[in-house]
Amino acid sequence: MSTTRTSPAPATTSPVSSPERGTPTRHVDPTRRQQAIAAWILALPFMALFLVFTAGPVLASLGMSFTDMRSTDMRNPFAVEFVGLQNYLDLLADPLFRKVTVNTALYLVLGVPLTMAVALATAVGLNRITRLKGFFRVSFYLPVVTSIVAVSVVWKFLLRDEGGLVNTVIGWFGVDGPGWLDSTTTALPTLVVMAVWRNFGTLMVIFLAALQTVPRELLEAAETDGASGWSRFRYITVPMLRPVLLFGAVITSIGYLQFFEEAFVMTKGGPLDATKSITFFTYDQWGYGNYAVGSAAAYLLFVAIMLLTWLQFRLLREKD
Amino acid sequence: MRRTRTSIAVLAAASLALTACGREDSAAGGEAQSEEIASGEATGTIDVWAMGTEGEVLEDFSAAFEEANPEADVKVTAVPWESAYDKLSGAIASGETPDVSLVGTTWMGEFAQAGGLMPTPENLVDESAFFPGAWESTEVGGTSYGVPWYVETRVLYYRTDLAEQAGWDEAPQTWDELKTFAQDLESKAGVEYGLNLQPGQTGSWQTVMPFAWSNGATLTNEDATEYTIDSPEMAEALDYYTSYFDEELSPTRLLDPGELETGFAKGTYGAFISGPWHTGLVEDAGVTQEQYTVAPMPGPDGAPGSSFVGGGDLVVFNDSDNADNAWKYVQWLSEAETQQAFYDEVGDLPAVQEAWETGELAEDPQLQVFGQQLENAESPPAVPTWEQVAGSIDSIVEQASKGDLPGDEAASQMQSEASSIGTGL
Repeated sequence: MSTTRTSPAPATTSPVSSPERGTPTRHVDPTRRQQAIAAWILALPFMALFLVFTAGPVLASLGMSFTDMRSTDMRNPFAVEFVGLQNYLDLLADPLFRKVTVNTALYLVLGVPLTMAVALATAVGLNRITRLKGFFRVSFYLPVVTSIVAVSVVWKFLLRDEGGLVNTVIGWFGVDGPGWLDSTTTALPTLVVMAVWRNFGTLMVIFLAALQTVPRELLEAAETDGASGWSRFRYITVPMLRPVLLFGAVITSIGYLQFFEEAFVMTKGGPLDATKSITFFTYDQWGYGNYAVGSAAAYLLFVAIMLLTWLQFRLLREKD
Repeated sequence: MRRTRTSIAVLAAASLALTACGREDSAAGGEAQSEEIASGEATGTIDVWAMGTEGEVLEDFSAAFEEANPEADVKVTAVPWESAYDKLSGAIASGETPDVSLVGTTWMGEFAQAGGLMPTPENLVDESAFFPGAWESTEVGGTSYGVPWYVETRVLYYRTDLAEQAGWDEAPQTWDELKTFAQDLESKAGVEYGLNLQPGQTGSWQTVMPFAWSNGATLTNEDATEYTIDSPEMAEALDYYTSYFDEELSPTRLLDPGELETGFAKGTYGAFISGPWHTGLVEDAGVTQEQYTVAPMPGPDGAPGSSFVGGGDLVVFNDSDNADNAWKYVQWLSEAETQQAFYDEVGDLPAVQEAWETGELAEDPQLQVFGQQLENAESPPAVPTWEQVAGSIDSIVEQASKGDLPGDEAASQMQSEASSIGTGL
């Protein structure tokens, strides 16, 4: 490494050079320049880490999805063959992948509206009450910070075929409950209910914060004009919340498209793959050493998430 | 599988970062065994990875080896089973492996195919000293890549007191008898389920295959290049297996952890099929030694039935800096006396047959059943894709157990899924 310091080139830094050319003085602010350099230096460690540990693997995975790479090729990457779109075509023809796609769509259409509705309803309720506000907020938010593994043990117990609390309670009304997680028809909706219970707290907190920004005068004015509670909610609160609702819909959708934890812990994707999601499928493929196939599945999911998010932005923003 | 050398810029860049030194050829596929190891004492540091209980006790246990080889130093790193697969495959990819590791038998195919494992030296051990099924688990594409360390196999557990009530004073010997046995346990001894079998889901192939192997079915051809799952023997075994669910002799629901043991103690389940670890579990659940026993798997027609052999193998890595001495350490662990001492320490069943001939292993009648069963036990093919094929077998077994798939269709479905996955060799 050189020990001599290179001084900055005078032509660019010295303001003296400009008038000589007869042009109007274009003054480069030295402090701004320094700030820019400092900013880059400060951002560099993060950028380096981001490039190596995030962007790099993401691109490598994209490249991998066009090859036939398996875990057994780890030591010999040059033997990996380029297969173009073969993995993607195979996936689209694979009955299991089709099944997990349908499952993921079901998670989405069942989970998103339900989570949004529950979160909004509780937020509105909590916004009204004056007593025990903190207690309720904490109670509803608690599942979000609870370990999924701990929660699943309790839920599994509650949902048991024989002797589970849920079936015992509905048994009092003469209903013979199924093994909620053991049947191909009930397992997926049951997981959705559990996911809603576990996740609505985050959205609720966001909605609650947004509700408090709705101007009181507006609601009071509407009330004086004789608007009913529902009309006030429908024509004032909801439009005011539109950006937050859009945000909520987008992050909730992304969450349900990546549905994994609940199914992994509670049902292991069963019975008969009824609760397997695309993320679960991808996880399995990596476990089997099918790196290329797993990457392709992950990218298909990525594209689906992009499309859906774009669609939501278009639909929900239209009226602005 | 023929592959041309195509490289992709992105992939190459990523893999260069990951791979310290790229080997040109993968080591698997009919390569000769390693050179003989040198004689004399072992020297240098031998880095060992081991999982579970083995990882905890091995360092202290190896003191005897270090005493006999004063120049050698055994360093053991305990790796949790949960992360062992990732850790080992990562180590092989990056070339940063220890010298020796414990490897689950079903991972052998993949790691050997990846070029991570060193073929077993020719003069290291006597192949015939091991249970044949256990030795097979080390062989990938005709070459052995390690030495079996400990084994486990599945046998029939049943409640002797309830069996007596049902009129049975000895274990069933044939499939027909096993069926009648389960029926009698229900009708005469009042158990809810005569014989608990796993209705599909992870690892159920380990309970299914003993029946299939007993019936003469095979998973692959001789050199493990093609799957041969679809056969009348397989279909028959699957029909027999699933009949237990149809006749409500076995629950179709997967039991929660601990449910089987407590149910066995309460008399809900009269019998089940499992490995040696269950002796301790059922006794913890309150079943006394007088109340239950183990018996070898019955075969279809009275000949001894086959079972599944699993366990752990010891391997030495291609990237080991101290391979010669690492093999000497493996050799020491494979001696009958060492294996007996290790059994006394942790209760792992020795893979070396001679270790069973004296001591507690020879005297304990329960353990003798496991020893007897090990002579008739097979391992799954050591091919790189086995885990995936096993996964698809598991889900087809689940479908068949729930009653909407006859045995012959299940067998042909297993075959077509396995064929499309390929053996990976």
